[in-house]
Amino acid sequence: MKNATARLKDIAVYLPDAVLGNDELASLYPEWPADKILEKTGISERHIAAEGQTAGDMAYEAARNLFAQGHVTAQDVDFIILCTQAPDYVLPTTACLLQHRLGISRQAGALDINLGCSGFVYGLSLAKGLIETGSARCVLLLTADTYSKYIHPMDKSVRTLFGDAAAATAVVASDDGKEYVGPFVFGTDGAGGKNLIVEAGMYRQPKNAHTAIEKEDDSGNVRSSENLFMNGAEVMAFSLKEVPKAIEQLLEKAKIAKEDVDYFVLHQANKFMLEALRKKLKIEKDKLPILVENCGNTVSSTIPVALHKLQTQGQLKKGHQLMLVGFGVGYSWAACMLVF
Amino acid sequence: MSEFYEGMAEILEVDPSVISSAFELHGGEAAWDSLAIVSTIALVDDCFGVMLEGKALTNCLTVADIESLISQAKKG
Repeated sequence: MKNATARLKDIAVYLPDAVLGNDELASLYPEWPADKILEKTGISERHIAAEGQTAGDMAYEAARNLFAQGHVTAQDVDFIILCTQAPDYVLPTTACLLQHRLGISRQAGALDINLGCSGFVYGLSLAKGLIETGSARCVLLLTADTYSKYIHPMDKSVRTLFGDAAAATAVVASDDGKEYVGPFVFGTDGAGGKNLIVEAGMYRQPKNAHTAIEKEDDSGNVRSSENLFMNGAEVMAFSLKEVPKAIEQLLEKAKIAKEDVDYFVLHQANKFMLEALRKKLKIEKDKLPILVENCGNTVSSTIPVALHKLQTQGQLKKGHQLMLVGFGVGYSWAACMLVF
Repeated sequence: MSEFYEGMAEILEVDPSVISSAFELHGGEAAWDSLAIVSTIALVDDCFGVMLEGKALTNCLTVADIESLISQAKKG
């Protein structure tokens, strides 16, 4: 009997209730008026997790939304993958807690993966591996992050960009013999780790009185080493260098012409980065969507959030040939083909 | 007007006619902030196919300083 292949069955999204708009940000950073923030970043609002609301809580809500959509039930799930960089505890694994909270079978596997903007594509590759080796039939791929909890309120370089969100994606076994997910290309460059980092709070640098000291940088942004730091210039240079290469490698590996891809769904970092990439890649505007306006950069959830939005807007149809590209913190990147 | 100068005018939020090599990035009307630097990296990559470093761009005082970085990067 031929092995099953992995197929993306359904996606659901959860955005926390609280909204941070550009007017509020502009009142804190007078040099960046609200219209400039929107024009440059493409973002008009970000959703922010409530105090005490964790990535695990948001992943739970996203999974509940997925089950409510009716294509997959909690009983179907036999493997949970949670991608987050803000787990509920140092231990146990948040995915294990979600198995219990969601009423998923005790025969299901569960694990967390710690990746940021590349995490959804890595999660898909793991789900494909589990399904196509016969180890699972229905993988619940959860992405959830609460970067807002790491961001200093007076750091406009990141507070204007990032929002909190979770997404739940069902990847299931298909027995029709067709390939839906893959091939993949991956990349890693740990030398860039320092350019997008929360330095203090784990074991390399535990929190102490010194790590809590706030400093102002040359651009007037305030943060301590317990906060998220992003060297925007370096991250932009990395993205312009590696993303086009990864896309070329994948097109070659998949033996697909650029013109035959219906949508290039890239990690939704922000408008200026996506426009720079679109220009460099010479891809038509309609084929490389920018969908950050109502949620900002939601880290590992940007790709499923974008897919969900394209689907609900009626742009994405079954059978569409997509390329997904995740890239960022690590540095880590990955790209894959996906037949929707 | 070169594509580079037009792009710089857009980034600095000034009229394209005022951009020249002598244009001062830290002058009153320009906004040479972190976002401008990130956008300049993308512009220079697009116009000249070279990647500049954020730190070197931060230290630039005039458009001529950026042009000098571009020349060095092209040689490099």
